[in-house]
Amino acid sequence: MITKRSFLIQQSRVYSWLIITAIFILIFSVRHGSAAEILTVYAVNYPLKYFAERIGGDHVKVEFPAPADVDPAHWNPDLENISAYQKADLILINGAGYAKWVNKVSLPRSKMVNTSRQFKDQYITSKEVMTHSHGGEGKHAHESLAFTTWLDLELAARQAEAIAAAMGRKQPALQKTFQANHASLAKELKALDQKIQAIVSKNPSMPLIVSHPVYDYFARRYRLNIVSVHWEPDEAPGDEQWLELKKILKHHPAKWMIWEGDPLKATIEKLKGLQINSIVFNPCGNVPAEGDFLTVMRQNIENLKMAFDY
Amino acid sequence: MFDNLYIAWKYVSYNRVKTTVLIACITLISFLPFSLQLLLNESERQLMSRAVNTPLIVGAKGSSLDLVMNTLYFGDDVPELISMEALDRIAETDLSLPIPMYVRFKARGHPIAGTTLDYFEFRGLKIVQGRQFAVLGDCVLGAKVAKSLALKPGDSLISSPESLFDLAGVYPLKMKVAGILEKSHTSDDLVVFVDLKTTWVIQGLGHGHQDVTKIKDPTLVLKRTDSNVAATAKLYHFTEITKKNMDSFHFHGNLSAYPISAVIAVPYDTKSGTILRGRYLSKEETQQIVKPEEVIDSLLQNIFRIKNVMDAVIAVVALATVLAVVLVFALSLRLRQREIQTIFKIGCSRMTITKLVAAEIMIIVCSSAVLCGIMMLAIHTVSNDLVRMLFIR
Repeated sequence: MITKRSFLIQQSRVYSWLIITAIFILIFSVRHGSAAEILTVYAVNYPLKYFAERIGGDHVKVEFPAPADVDPAHWNPDLENISAYQKADLILINGAGYAKWVNKVSLPRSKMVNTSRQFKDQYITSKEVMTHSHGGEGKHAHESLAFTTWLDLELAARQAEAIAAAMGRKQPALQKTFQANHASLAKELKALDQKIQAIVSKNPSMPLIVSHPVYDYFARRYRLNIVSVHWEPDEAPGDEQWLELKKILKHHPAKWMIWEGDPLKATIEKLKGLQINSIVFNPCGNVPAEGDFLTVMRQNIENLKMAFDY
Repeated sequence: MFDNLYIAWKYVSYNRVKTTVLIACITLISFLPFSLQLLLNESERQLMSRAVNTPLIVGAKGSSLDLVMNTLYFGDDVPELISMEALDRIAETDLSLPIPMYVRFKARGHPIAGTTLDYFEFRGLKIVQGRQFAVLGDCVLGAKVAKSLALKPGDSLISSPESLFDLAGVYPLKMKVAGILEKSHTSDDLVVFVDLKTTWVIQGLGHGHQDVTKIKDPTLVLKRTDSNVAATAKLYHFTEITKKNMDSFHFHGNLSAYPISAVIAVPYDTKSGTILRGRYLSKEETQQIVKPEEVIDSLLQNIFRIKNVMDAVIAVVALATVLAVVLVFALSLRLRQREIQTIFKIGCSRMTITKLVAAEIMIIVCSSAVLCGIMMLAIHTVSNDLVRMLFIR
């Protein structure tokens, strides 16, 4: 016969089991509903990191381990960093030969996303690189591609599109979110692209000198008339470099020189002596000291206005 | 009973030669079919388990068996090579995960398999010591390779030249052992794994040397133009990839044209697999896509057909042996007629004499059974390697 006391004990046991089960279900769902869904994404340069962060939002953790003071295009990661790249859910590479270390390390192909693959037929071959071959008939090596693809903001939007698609493949449930975030980013990139076109259209044939051969895609997109030299902003150019510039000016009478970063004051003054003014158009390959990719590009556009008298 | 056995034992141990010959005959004739069956079962297990776990293989048109054996079991016969374009072609379909395989070179008798990190995830291979390969020149050893060569992480392993007489060929590459794989009891235990790009370095398609565009020694330069410098054969190539010379390593020509032996295609779903297979049906197609399970199944059917023939041969030999044994016993009994008469005269019944002879036969048959059992046990212990040696490699 069931007494009132034993009935109460049985009832309390049932309740305690129900509570324990509910707690387990809650813990399990929290673990699988949030933490497990966060994608770990590794990028090889800052623009890709920025695009991934904008597209992925809180659903991704984007890492870009290159130190702030190096050019990521020429950076070589150590074993620890390579191991971190190997363990990522997605590895965003720029393509077009950017970050040569990618070809010398072992990364899982299934996780690699070549963000420029869709427009590889539009890659620009750099003419200024000396190649080598072995024997008379040997194939050439070091045929270099221009790699600063994101300075063509239309191509940058396509790279962002590739990132959104890759993230969507990894997490189909969030595909719409990624697409919406990409659409918003693409809109901002398009606005900047149109602004540059409007500025350049004021004087499209104006001759320009660029301090480094990193503006090929930029020049092609906005039809700029540029000639490259190999000058570092933080180094005073040598006599040979000045002579080379004077030679260029004879057939390319440029009044403006575009720099990757702020040049030395002495260089600015000496250039002024040759009737050349300096502006900075930062390619933003690494994390900027202030702001983000878009704010840097906006500042670049402001600088460009000076040259084109916009 | 024990008396009979004692007398029978005394008899067989006195006639050692006759007993040994009889035991050997019975042992061998029973051992042959059992061991063959055991080896066939083991080969079926080994071949099928790996084949079933590999959905599709893409390679050059030709022998599908060579393609499968080289890709799955790292066999010596290298199929006709294909280029990396075959891999890109699969990747672009978005129907399956393509895993490149380049199994051509060897290091101290062990095959070198060039692939990507996806292979390890696909096969569920785990690193038990050290780390995964990370840079050009790193290698990861299968468990048995590490054991047989007594290598550990940090040691070096040199690739073997393809031909000893190829004096103008590429230099062997000194590889660094980065890690050792957990024993998987599959062909993967017998392989040296490297990144695909490292196999191209072994082949000489990628290499490192001093900057040709900056060298002053005229004997190293064949021809110099405004855009290119052609180097002579005197130029020294690095035979080991180190942190110092890593930057000098480079590849010549278009990487899409670089060789691989096969692509393992892992379809995302059944439908994708079917669509992918359909894309290789054209008559003009230079590549083939095979389902390893089907290829191995057809191989096993051939093996079993051969086994049936062998079974028939063994049955005839067994019958002849049994008849010979019966003859030996009959002749032996005739020769022992006087001995049997004596036993009978001292008071033993015919039944006791029969028991004595039966005990002798039992001792011989039991000895053969024990010997056969020991031999089967030995075969079972080495069956994994034996099957690999006889049927796979």
